[in-house]
Amino acid sequence: MTEEGKELDPATEFRQLYDQQYLSVYRSIRGVVLEPAAAEDLTQETFVRAYRARHRYTPTAPPGAWLRRIGINLAISYLRRQKLARVLPARLYTPPDRRDYDRAEARDVVTKALATLSPKLRAAIVLHYYDGLTREEIAAVLGVPAGTVASRIAKAVAIMRKSLGSDQDLGPERSTSEGALRGR
Amino acid sequence: MKVPYVDDKPTQGGFRTPSDDDLGRMIRNTVESWKPQRGPDWSGVLIKLANSGPPAWLLYTAASAALVVILLAAFLVGSALQIGALGPQPVPSNLH
Repeated sequence: MTEEGKELDPATEFRQLYDQQYLSVYRSIRGVVLEPAAAEDLTQETFVRAYRARHRYTPTAPPGAWLRRIGINLAISYLRRQKLARVLPARLYTPPDRRDYDRAEARDVVTKALATLSPKLRAAIVLHYYDGLTREEIAAVLGVPAGTVASRIAKAVAIMRKSLGSDQDLGPERSTSEGALRGR
Repeated sequence: MKVPYVDDKPTQGGFRTPSDDDLGRMIRNTVESWKPQRGPDWSGVLIKLANSGPPAWLLYTAASAALVVILLAAFLVGSALQIGALGPQPVPSNLH
């Protein structure tokens, strides 16, 4: 969960807001892009944009939700650009170095399950389960109706449960050597 | 004592799918294990702010205004000097 104490005013206490919210914004963004290095760059960019817009912030939502909105939108735009870049001729497109990601993250079944979701589904799942936001709050962050959020969460949960279930079924604890005694 | 036989092929698509609570816990644990390598870097934000140019909306507005001024000036100069399509056109002599 996020460690939000008192709500800080972005216009006058931006530096403190940066220290307070950096980690949770980073994690929310990483939940969407799944690449650690890109998530860090996008987190910095989020705070740069938020700093420029700090005087336009209206306290209808907590500053953390405002920052997450900027960050998630940046992350989805980043992935859209990446997808677009993949259709460019090979000479113009240099794919990102995913070796670190493959090494470090492929072992993690939850990250693998998250990777099977679309960025919009991932955003809904991370905001719901990590940030603990309600459907209405997620709807405000993503700029979609609450009903859409509910269906995205349900769809994402179904895909992830299936993915995690099949991963675990094929895991070592269900190896063939113990087959004969299972079921007792 | 009889031991019930269980086929030793793993079951696909499983009855071991995690519950909603388990799934939520797994996601939270995974996300909370993510730590940034570089960490918070306020000076990096300040450098980015200093290096970044004007915001896009300001750039586009200024460029649009400049284009309007250039087109207007070209029209005024062209009509004042009677050059190009703004100059007097020859009238065909067979028309009366």
